[in-house]
Amino acid sequence: MSEHDLFPFAHEWLSDMDTSLAANLEKWAASELMEKRLELKEDYAGLLEPAMRKLCLDIGLQRLLWPEAYGGDGHNTPAAALTITAALEQVARGDTSIALLLSGMWALQSCMAMEGKENPEACEAFADLFASKDTLAVTSLVLPLFRDEPQAHAKLSRGAWSVEAKKVRPIACGADAAVFGVYCSLDGEDEAGLIALPGDAKGVKKGKALLKTGLAASRNADVTFDKTKAPEGMCVARGREACRAALAWLYLGVSASNVGALFASYEILREWGDNRVIKGKDQVFKNNPLTSAVMGEVAKEIALDRMLTYNLARVLAAPDVYGEAGGERNFVTACMVAQQVAQSAEKAIGNAMEMMASAGYATEWNLERYWRDTKTMQLCLGPYELAKMDYARYFYQSQAR
Amino acid sequence: MRSIDDFTRPLENISPMDDPLGLIVRDWAEKYVIPHRRKFDEDYVDHKFIEPAFDKLMGEMGMQRVLFPENMGGWGFGRSDHVGTSMYRIMEEVARADSGMAVAYGVVYWPLLMIAVEPHVNYELCKEFAPIFCDTEEARFAANAMTEPQGGSDIENMEILGGSTIQTTAVLDGDEWVINGHKLWPTNSGGVCNLFGVVCTTNPGSRDPDDFAFIFVPADTPGCTQGPPYQKAGMAADKNGDIWFENVRVPKSYRAHGPGLDAMYFKEMVSLGNMASTAFVGGVLLNVWERLYEFVSEETYKGQPLKEHDAVAGLLADIARDAEVVRIVGYQNARMMDRPDIYGARWSDEQVAKARLYKYWSADVGMETLGKAMNLMSVYGADRDWDIEKHWRDLKIVQLWLGGKQLGQAEVARWFWDLETV
Ligand SMILES: Cc1cc2nc3c(=O)[nH]c(=O)nc-3n(C[C@H](O)[C@H](O)[C@H](O)COP(=O)(O)OP(=O)(O)OC[C@H]3O[C@@H](n4cnc5c(N)ncnc54)[C@H](O)[C@@H]3O)c2cc1C
Repeated sequence: MSEHDLFPFAHEWLSDMDTSLAANLEKWAASELMEKRLELKEDYAGLLEPAMRKLCLDIGLQRLLWPEAYGGDGHNTPAAALTITAALEQVARGDTSIALLLSGMWALQSCMAMEGKENPEACEAFADLFASKDTLAVTSLVLPLFRDEPQAHAKLSRGAWSVEAKKVRPIACGADAAVFGVYCSLDGEDEAGLIALPGDAKGVKKGKALLKTGLAASRNADVTFDKTKAPEGMCVARGREACRAALAWLYLGVSASNVGALFASYEILREWGDNRVIKGKDQVFKNNPLTSAVMGEVAKEIALDRMLTYNLARVLAAPDVYGEAGGERNFVTACMVAQQVAQSAEKAIGNAMEMMASAGYATEWNLERYWRDTKTMQLCLGPYELAKMDYARYFYQSQAR
Repeated sequence: MRSIDDFTRPLENISPMDDPLGLIVRDWAEKYVIPHRRKFDEDYVDHKFIEPAFDKLMGEMGMQRVLFPENMGGWGFGRSDHVGTSMYRIMEEVARADSGMAVAYGVVYWPLLMIAVEPHVNYELCKEFAPIFCDTEEARFAANAMTEPQGGSDIENMEILGGSTIQTTAVLDGDEWVINGHKLWPTNSGGVCNLFGVVCTTNPGSRDPDDFAFIFVPADTPGCTQGPPYQKAGMAADKNGDIWFENVRVPKSYRAHGPGLDAMYFKEMVSLGNMASTAFVGGVLLNVWERLYEFVSEETYKGQPLKEHDAVAGLLADIARDAEVVRIVGYQNARMMDRPDIYGARWSDEQVAKARLYKYWSADVGMETLGKAMNLMSVYGADRDWDIEKHWRDLKIVQLWLGGKQLGQAEVARWFWDLETV
């Protein structure tokens, strides 16, 4: 039985296209990643980059949400929230870091290219990149480290932004970015904006790739923007609501990627549970009440995380019913779901490792990489202690910051 | 400003060596480990950066000799009444810098506990093996070869399975043991080991404690082969691999004590292994406190240091609480190891169960604390440069080894609740 049937969710929300895309991506994950990773581990050039090229360029996921008028596949409607959820589950099963890359890219595209709200200047400027069949649109988002405090500042003068930030830390891909989405405080304005900048724009200095816990396909680095200029229209999300909409899409992507990582972990644990014998020759692992209780808990986390994630996708997919993605309620919901799923993934994959003891800790069994990847991805959401200020503000009108 | 020394130790119970030794090890860690530890992960095969630090600590400073009797070049800790608390402090200090080094160093003592600790010092074997460790300025490694491909927990599950799952056999042939078997995962295998303590059976399938044998095998004995180190999520300073014993012959006297006693003292190894694991957690948490102190003081939010935010402060309090309580509990366990005259034999079911309890509790607390500390650091939490993520990867195995949490739970439940079948 596939995870599709095993872990229930409201699948009537998915279109046939969503389902068949997910099925194709399941095959991509198996052939491009899972079959090769015992040998290639997390090798960027040998494994991850070729897999990304196949996914983004040949299968064309970087064109999926891009408008047809600018060379994309034209799924640039809110309904794509469900499509990307189904897709990211499968991508993350293969490699969670590639799923995070896509999540960041789609979050940025969502604020340039949504049907009816296209930003023609930005679409024009980035059409060559996102519709490209040979250049990876590696996207790097520079978001607040702590809740809503921007790392960068932008000033508008004579129709152009000048972006200023020193050695700031993107959530991913700082070393390889073809495009940056930089969350900036805007000079003279109370609210922030998300400015899109080409990765090779003047004044952009990318540092050396950093050593970090996981997410090998994301070569991250500190980045400096030294008076980097961009036309006014490149502020693709201006004001709180627009920025929060981009974040809500990112949070959906992170949740779906966590669910995918959980599926992979479930598969590895299931194989272990079927085959390992403990208590001498007495007991197949999954039949021990103490360990099966933990396995049951792992499954529960996965099932609930998946339901939550699809519910969030549905919220973002149906603005006519639930309101705009960036409205306070939807943003807080997105944030809560993402934090919940990320914490649950940390717990469930940690528990799965405990079940497998040394095998869980060895790279050979692959489980530990999902543990590292999901933890690293969790950090993109910022500290949980501060996220709770947003929840309190929405639910209790708390003024705590 | 506070320092790690502000975390409480039970001062009236610690060894006279606690500070002198602790501070020497801390100085070593500051000079030889902390400046290099961010390169350790990629060094897991060659140990280019790791080996010099081991040589300094264990060889030059002589810390690999501490268990052996003084007249054999050792420091006599094995015959002292502070073997637990001294070890605890040393392990804590090493783990503060790198818990992988702490386990590699700690496991040098592990099999030697069988023969070098009162009330069961085996002077003949101490004399035989002391030169390996005491007559050199280079690091020498011992390993406790217990885990086998079919499972490590079962071998440790002595009470229920009584050694019946051990596949590595020892057959007496005249004056020699002939050993055959395949072990995997022992700390200090992967090519570095000099002396193995091997868990064997003299009668496969038997639950009789008399058939459980703990036999020493110098690593250069013909027929003993070590495979290369495995790649793991962390703990690069500890090499783990396969070991094959093919008709390995060692003198009859290399069996630690003999029928019944090997099985009994093996449980003492389990107690002390768990106590050391708690020390690893304690040391890591002290360093987490240090590194996080720096982070939350430097980074700002809403114009103030991050630590001044009330909700963040709540979490910081919890993290300090965890470091404090783990240290107190860990030292208490160490004291119990020091004083079997008060707390009962180290190999008693009570001591084994309680040491397991402290270990699995502290490892759970440690992992949760580390996870929260990383989370508080936002995207920086995954940076090798901030060290906390490395501790997070390293410490995970402390939760998993020594039979895993579930075996720990089973033994604790068995002892406290008088269970008979679990
Ligand atoms: C860095 C590192 C260092 C190590 N050092 C050493 C060493 O020095 N010497 C050595 O011999 N080994 C060592 N090991 C191996 C380690 O101790 C074993 O992995 C561990 O004991 C568990 O054994 P296993 O991996 O074979 O898992 P299994 O024995 O298959 O157990 C898997 C899981 O099953 C569950 N389980 C097992 N038995 C029961 C039961 N009766 N009831 C309920 N649940 C149960 C537990 O959750 C356990 O985690 C090391 C491993 C690592 C990664």
